[in-house]
Amino acid sequence: MATLDPTPKSFAEKLQSVPKPVLYLVLFLLAALPLFFPVKLPNKPIDASIDFYAHLMQLPEGSKVLISSDWTNSTRGESMGEMEALLRILMRKGIKFVVYTTADPQAPQVARDTIRKIADEEGKAGGYRYKPFEDYVILGYYPNGEGTTSAINNKFLSICEGKKDWPENSPPRDVLQSPVLQGIKSVSDFKYLIMVTASSTNTVVLERVTKAPLMFMVTGVMVPENTTYYASGQLKGLCGGVKGVYDLETLMEDGLNVEGPHKVLSEKYTDVIPGFPGKQNAGKGNAYYPSLHFALFLLILAVITGNVGMFLSKRKGA
Amino acid sequence: MTYNHDLAVLSVGAIATIGLYTILYRENRFYRFFEHLFLGLASGWALVALWTETLKSLWWDKLVGASASDGNSAAMGYWVYIMLLPIGAMGYMVFSKKHNWMSRIPIGIILGLYSGQQFNAWTNRYIPQMAGTMKSIIPTAGFFKPDPNALNPALGPVKGDLYGSEALNNLIFIFTVLCVLSYFLFSFDVKNKLVKSASLMGRWLLMIGFGAIFGTTVMMRFSLLIDRMFFIWIEFVKQGLFHLK
Amino acid sequence: MELLAQLAPKTFWNAPNGSSELWVKIIIAFFIGIGFFIGMMNVPTQMRRPIVFTVTFVSGLFYFLFWIYPAPINKAPEDAPRNTLEAFSFWISDSQAVVADLTNIIASFLIGLGIYSLLRVHLGKIKKQQRDWQFSVVLIVSMLAMILFGYVDFYMRLDPANSKMAGSGYVGWTFWQFGRDLLFNGLLQNMDAGMFSIVAFYILSAAYRAFRARSIEATILLVTALVVMLSLMGLVEFYWAQGVDSAHLSNNFKLDNVARWLRGNVQTPAIRGIDFGVGIGLLAMGVRLWLNLEKTGSAS
Repeated sequence: MATLDPTPKSFAEKLQSVPKPVLYLVLFLLAALPLFFPVKLPNKPIDASIDFYAHLMQLPEGSKVLISSDWTNSTRGESMGEMEALLRILMRKGIKFVVYTTADPQAPQVARDTIRKIADEEGKAGGYRYKPFEDYVILGYYPNGEGTTSAINNKFLSICEGKKDWPENSPPRDVLQSPVLQGIKSVSDFKYLIMVTASSTNTVVLERVTKAPLMFMVTGVMVPENTTYYASGQLKGLCGGVKGVYDLETLMEDGLNVEGPHKVLSEKYTDVIPGFPGKQNAGKGNAYYPSLHFALFLLILAVITGNVGMFLSKRKGA
Repeated sequence: MTYNHDLAVLSVGAIATIGLYTILYRENRFYRFFEHLFLGLASGWALVALWTETLKSLWWDKLVGASASDGNSAAMGYWVYIMLLPIGAMGYMVFSKKHNWMSRIPIGIILGLYSGQQFNAWTNRYIPQMAGTMKSIIPTAGFFKPDPNALNPALGPVKGDLYGSEALNNLIFIFTVLCVLSYFLFSFDVKNKLVKSASLMGRWLLMIGFGAIFGTTVMMRFSLLIDRMFFIWIEFVKQGLFHLK
Repeated sequence: MELLAQLAPKTFWNAPNGSSELWVKIIIAFFIGIGFFIGMMNVPTQMRRPIVFTVTFVSGLFYFLFWIYPAPINKAPEDAPRNTLEAFSFWISDSQAVVADLTNIIASFLIGLGIYSLLRVHLGKIKKQQRDWQFSVVLIVSMLAMILFGYVDFYMRLDPANSKMAGSGYVGWTFWQFGRDLLFNGLLQNMDAGMFSIVAFYILSAAYRAFRARSIEATILLVTALVVMLSLMGLVEFYWAQGVDSAHLSNNFKLDNVARWLRGNVQTPAIRGIDFGVGIGLLAMGVRLWLNLEKTGSAS
């Protein structure tokens, strides 16, 4: 039979011993409830996100970019929001893209599904609906990331040889015959290599690709590391985590240096870079940002409570 | 009743997610079922994608070639690609007690190729960072940088001059890099007081880096949880079951 | 005819698709490969280390030369080398793509190792009816189901008659496409996301119990983490800025400016310092692997 502790807990001890199930339950509620009440929160995009947005928006229509889609649903909470925001910008600007992956065998299928979803959404909203093979090509999965990335820098078309992709209502065809790859001889023919990554493939690309400018979309945990590459100019733009997605969605809605109630100012860019007002700009960033506030607030509160408890017991002990 | 595939996909996803979340209560058989289901499906997909996304196009199609059809050009078959099969098979000798050394041949090829790339990789990754650390610490203008928004917009942002406050920031930047590096390089017992102090400062400054990593890691982990809540409550319950917008 | 014009010229190393010449060559090469495999099995013990060393060293040497040797600039496919030095430059540049291709194939073959190992463990468990062997059955059955649905779906999609399947709205889908989608998008993808999201609960619990300002280091870490987390909250940033006069020096103490200063002037150089440390280690490890100096490396 269990024995009961006869001495009641002091206030300091109580502060340090909130039961685990209570913490879990509160986190569960704080993460879920705000999702039912979407609100637009104030936001000041950081420089790295502004650069990412501005570089993309300054691309002329018909440009081509190379996308390394190295994420799966394990980081859907961040990477999918990043991919969706990127795709919306590319599709609205008429920029064609080639997708490859070196991270995970699941990644090409996840990218395929996400691109189709956003293409359908843009088509239904009255915009141009991107078609596979015609407007984008998926090269598939390459297990040896280091060698493949070196080949991308050295001789891009070599990684396309033998690869096939599905056009609409047609059996698979050689990707080299896709309109997207016409005029592409080297990786330098792409305006940017954009990585949407949740793994260490970011450094693999950074270490090997020198012929095309790089921009990364990374998960939260990778932000500090990649900020050093952004600061040294190795990355032209960086979008990190849900905050980065919300930054992009804010810029897509309000533009940069555009007069209005939510004007986003930038010291670096003097030009006005309009967004896409009136279009579906709110994505996962808008949906998750309020919940993130509550969850972060809970963690801060939990850490402060624990520390206050510790100091009170120390004082009592002294 | 017609089959609603979207709802079926959402339903099995929600059940599986809840099944995995039961581990928060305690270790249980429901969780273990979904854990093994997950492992089985993931490894099964790895075998599917290995062929459909990689080996078929990179190996098999090059081995046997192709005839012109359906808008695709003809391609010669390169028979020598078959020789890769025995080299790959050597990797599986790792399970043999007598011949497990053979598995080191394909692994040696990959490790060799990886290590050979390190020189190139190192220069591309670190030289720009070194260059980025060589910051000027001698100011060319007053201490305070004027607010660019307060200036005449026609003049654009302030360029060229290095203000005292910026030079100080640059000094802090260089000092931080050097202190953190000295903490790593002089991990053995050093008598020199200056180096010792620099290493101690390096340790403290390193904590700022780790603090930032912790902060953004928390953002990531919470985002993943919020996404699951979004999937269960909004995509499955609200939109899937109740067809609400 | 235009398509045929793209066909590579006939050499000893290739043959047309479906030709008996190609299949004969493939079969002969396959048997030579098996002979090579058997030959390696009978290599004397003292020869094993030099073989592994040579393979690793030559592989590493290729990329070392690729890095150090001058690369051709703007080389067109029809360009011919003018001398031996240029010929080597052309060769190494052209062969890098082939080497990358071959490495992808070998790496693909090796990915099966993990699956083979998993199967060995779980089939053994079922055979011996060890504790919780039923879960091993779940693993094997789900793996087989995914393989079956994955391959049937893939090969059905290759058939020109089923070309509508690649479009939107499940047009032309059969039992196999619905099954593959249910397993991949319904179960696998959602469990992948579910598994990784559980850590959020543990991180909260761990931070509450262990994140204490017990030393100078821990206090710096805690304060930085708090500033970074607060700066990720737009609402906090907004209200913080309300109390600050933008035209005054105190503008620097807006949360976004504090976070930006910290990120740009302390966090970035601190992590760059760590990265330099990592870089030295990576280069040293690369050299050790290449030259087989690593004790647990490929040739030991």
